[in-house]
Amino acid sequence: MGRIALTGTASLLGGRLLRRLAETKGPDRLLVVDVAPPPAALAVRHRAVDLTAPAADQRLLDVLREEQVESVLHFAFFTSPRRDTVYTHELESIGTLAVLAAAAAAGVGRVVMRSFTAVYGARGQNPAFLTEDRPLQPDPATAWARDKLEAEQHAASFSRRYPDLKVAVLRFAPLIGPGVHTFYTRILDRRVVPLLMGYDPLVQMLHPDDALGAAEAAVDRPVAGPFNVVPLRPIPLLTALHLAGKIPLPVPHPLAYPAVDLMWAAGVGEAPGRFCDYVRFPFVADGERARRELGFSARHASRDALLAYIGYRHPQARARAAEAPA
Amino acid sequence: MSSRPKVVLLRPATRGEPQRDAAPEATPRREGLLVALARALEAGRHGLGWENVADLWSAAYFSWHSEDVDEFGRDARFIETIRPLLEFLYTVWWRVEPAGVENVPAEGPALVVANHSGVLPWDGVMITLALRHEHPARRECRMLVLDMFALLPFLAPTLARSGAVRASQENGERLLRQGELVGVFPEGVKGVGKRYRDRYKLARFGRGGFVRLALRTSAPIVPCAVVGAEEIHPVLAKADWVGRPFGLPYFPITPSFPLLGPLGVVPLPTKWSIDFSDPIPTAGYGPEAAEDPILVNRLSEQVRSVIQRMIDGRLARRRSVWFG
Repeated sequence: MGRIALTGTASLLGGRLLRRLAETKGPDRLLVVDVAPPPAALAVRHRAVDLTAPAADQRLLDVLREEQVESVLHFAFFTSPRRDTVYTHELESIGTLAVLAAAAAAGVGRVVMRSFTAVYGARGQNPAFLTEDRPLQPDPATAWARDKLEAEQHAASFSRRYPDLKVAVLRFAPLIGPGVHTFYTRILDRRVVPLLMGYDPLVQMLHPDDALGAAEAAVDRPVAGPFNVVPLRPIPLLTALHLAGKIPLPVPHPLAYPAVDLMWAAGVGEAPGRFCDYVRFPFVADGERARRELGFSARHASRDALLAYIGYRHPQARARAAEAPA
Repeated sequence: MSSRPKVVLLRPATRGEPQRDAAPEATPRREGLLVALARALEAGRHGLGWENVADLWSAAYFSWHSEDVDEFGRDARFIETIRPLLEFLYTVWWRVEPAGVENVPAEGPALVVANHSGVLPWDGVMITLALRHEHPARRECRMLVLDMFALLPFLAPTLARSGAVRASQENGERLLRQGELVGVFPEGVKGVGKRYRDRYKLARFGRGGFVRLALRTSAPIVPCAVVGAEEIHPVLAKADWVGRPFGLPYFPITPSFPLLGPLGVVPLPTKWSIDFSDPIPTAGYGPEAAEDPILVNRLSEQVRSVIQRMIDGRLARRRSVWFG
């Protein structure tokens, strides 16, 4: 049996997947391909490959061949938007290209790639549940989404060109729960949380345990193509804020976009103004395909994931949040 | 500052009464707003903190919203909250007279197809109420609403909470496959925003999307005619350029709007009737018939003429707009 290579093990999901696989498959079958070494306690092999370096694909190909890798789990993606868009583009779009090219050339059987339901784009015209065959239409002006979209396009094109390479793309709903630290949890950590006046879209919040369960299921099944990984039920944004004990501050949307952009440019904001779309319009995805083909169904509703996060982050502040979900 | 005691809410008392409108996600009632207020005041003797403000706010919010909604955003407690207002409109304001409610199947999917009028989607609300209160099986009708209503700030979340769903093939199909009763207005914006002089003349029925929906899911079509809603906001003229910067597809000028400002959104107390005709079965054609444009158009025209006939019959018998 060949090895399973993981990238992006410094991320929450990649790191937890590494730990879980080290338990279930044994550390000998794993290989961390990353710039940062994994925790020494795991005793997992590590090969340093910088996906943003020139000729990263060649270096990665050598590593995959030498270590006899049979599957690659590609989790090197940023959840939060970054000001360094050049590096992000090199890692996410070009880096994914390198991973896919090396995997195809090394004869690796399968690649599992992390993606985001946000790549569908938040749009007023979205159906209540986005299915995997829906075209990906994120806001083209958002670098964050553009890089993820390009990574998805590389995955689709490699699947077409190399029928033997099974590329499964897991589109995770936004993660919330113990251990999650992203730009939206930083916003949620404040007492007063701004939102758009008159808009209250349904949002999905995925518990990291569920996300991990889906990733594990995808490692073992020879499936290909995109899969939405979503929680049981979405929740209205305003309901979520009140459940978390926040004070919502409604901002008129014509004001919010430039104000958020200004804060981002000034270095105090968490995201560019275009991200307001994600609290204005829904991007709720349908998990039916993952249920059918991956055998994965979430155990937590969005509400449970949120309460788990509040209990983890602010245990003393909210007696209500610690209360077990009904 | 440091001596300020933190208010820790106890587990909210749940009242045992089952909700009349029992949705699967109906959550137990939290402690009331007054209890939260009393707690805040108690804590406030030592100075009111952020926690108290947040607690009060959230108690106020959850006094009329559920903690959990269904997958389309329908909120059982919100519906319960606005029910008195809607029932007032139904029984007192418009004195709605439903007929043929039993034509709507007692169970399984069905598509109620109605004429659209009245500037704001009140006709959908009243059809829902007629079926909820007068149908023997107390059926809950999910209205598919126009994009414009589903996207407008404030109106969009309100409609979603009250059970309406944005009109699209995907949403309609999902609801019907779950065995729900779905209501549509194929005239769309051409119907709801038409001028007073064009009242009760059915506009084109879209491109037959509702027929394809029914064929694909083998759901019977129940034609429905609403009379009385055309006169609640008589549109004398349209100044669509006023609404465009705000994302409104039309801007009606009625005797009271925009002349009287906010009062202009109060609808006139006309007398309403809602007629349901015999269902038109679609199961015999098979799902592939949805791709046959001639058949789709024929069924669409058939439904349209049934509705127009029901409307004309009502209008011929109606003596007064106000008293029926």
